Amino acid sequence: MTKLPKCEDKKLGLLIDLDTCVGCHGCVVSCKEWNSSGGEKQLSDINSHQKGPVGTFLNRVHSYERENSCTNEAETFYFPRSCLHCEDAPCVTVCPTGASYKREEDGIVLVNEYDCMGCGLCAWACPYGARELDLVSGVMKKCTLCVDRIYSEELPPEDRVPVCVKSCPTGARAFGDFNDPNSDVSKKVKERGGVDLMPEMQTKPVNKYLLPRIKSKNSVSSVGSVVEEETDATGLLGWVDRALSKF
Amino acid sequence: MHPAPSIILFTVLSGFGFGLISIVGLLQFLNQISTVDIVIFSVIGLFFSIIGLISSFFHLANKKNAIKSMSQWQTSWLSREAISSIFCLSIVVGNIGWVFVQNRYINEVGIILFLLSLFTIFTTSMIYAQLKTVPSWNNLLTPALFIFTALAGGSILLLDYASLVLLLIFAVLQVLFWYIADQSFIYKETSVGTALGFSKNEDIRAFDVAHTNRNYLLNEMVYKVARKHAIKIRYISFFAAFVLPMLLILMFPSNFSVSVFVIGIHFVGIYFSRWLFFAEAKHSVSFYYN
Repeated sequence: MTKLPKCEDKKLGLLIDLDTCVGCHGCVVSCKEWNSSGGEKQLSDINSHQKGPVGTFLNRVHSYERENSCTNEAETFYFPRSCLHCEDAPCVTVCPTGASYKREEDGIVLVNEYDCMGCGLCAWACPYGARELDLVSGVMKKCTLCVDRIYSEELPPEDRVPVCVKSCPTGARAFGDFNDPNSDVSKKVKERGGVDLMPEMQTKPVNKYLLPRIKSKNSVSSVGSVVEEETDATGLLGWVDRALSKF
Repeated sequence: MHPAPSIILFTVLSGFGFGLISIVGLLQFLNQISTVDIVIFSVIGLFFSIIGLISSFFHLANKKNAIKSMSQWQTSWLSREAISSIFCLSIVVGNIGWVFVQNRYINEVGIILFLLSLFTIFTTSMIYAQLKTVPSWNNLLTPALFIFTALAGGSILLLDYASLVLLLIFAVLQVLFWYIADQSFIYKETSVGTALGFSKNEDIRAFDVAHTNRNYLLNEMVYKVARKHAIKIRYISFFAAFVLPMLLILMFPSNFSVSVFVIGIHFVGIYFSRWLFFAEAKHSVSFYYN
């Protein structure tokens, strides 16, 4: 049913730390791999080894630059974009076939591919571009929060997290219950000030982001402090410097 | 947004069809139409509505599940549109059969057809007007424009001077729609800043692309239209949909063959108008690709 549940028991979602993400696309690759192997679920590619490859992905990593207000230097950061499993998910209510639904028990937004007619209206309704129509199977694809991993009894307990979280080499992604104030993700959101994307769309996203912190003037990563000219070299280099300066 | 021909044809043709049906229904209610005309114009309306609905069917990527689109009327405008159009067309077919066999008509059926076909056009418009992600659609002008476009088109064949009034209302709404769509205030809340969780005025630029080729999102929702052509197409659309039909109706009132010609020109104008409706609309996902 495309009616949203009145309240979910749990609000499972991801907490993504933009300060830690290094933009390696590891989550993109592992997500594609997990969701393309086994069973009927496939994220298809067209022209994968030719000119003009196009494919379906549930996760994309963008990169942006902004000016540091402290040092006036440009800083880059990376931004993984995927489904936010919104509480007021507009993609669910617009669905005419009942294929889109939000689970009452944990708030995960899913697509039942046996009901989807591929009209694409849910992708239009999503502000974040989280849904992509698979061009081969003709049905809508979206992040499942690895619902087939997190409840799996065949996987060892430490692997029962979304594959993007498991594969992130820097630990920029965390998975947990945002409804539970004592969960790690809730604590971190409180401590670091987790934010919603496009709050003006009133979708109430479950996933939260931690924004990159402004680096201070004395930080090593400030461009000026790294490429400063070496003027007072000593030892052998100092002798070469002094000797060459004479000519 | 991607101006898909299947969707443009759907909104233009079914809009005209249901517009014609609503005018027939109104005249039937008011006792202002002959039984022969009810049959002829209902069949024409039916034809265009069905062609439009078939055209929308070709937009679906997984056609075998199309029948399931009738199920979610409680939340989905697209579902309501599917149910309402099928229901309305069934009544049209019943009305045609009754009038054809009995050679008389029931006035009350006319008002039901009038309201139901208007409601169907309204549901079509709400598919777009409900989307917060596309601010230029997300207002009451969208349903108003769709309804009066359909009524103006439908009235050209059946009404003389009254169709001029409907054309005029359509033209005013169309200009107003373009004017509002051009105003930057409709995107006042969203920016690349809010898309990434920062404040509205945060100065952020895309540094590198997230993928090396175009994808579904870019093809479907980040359609770029050359603005200079957009203005020219607006003129063509306005001239063909409103100015020429207006002049021809004034010069040749109550001339059926001229009316058919006027409908043809009007269609071209409305097609361009709908093309712009999609091509000029900016979706919030485009902020990620700024």
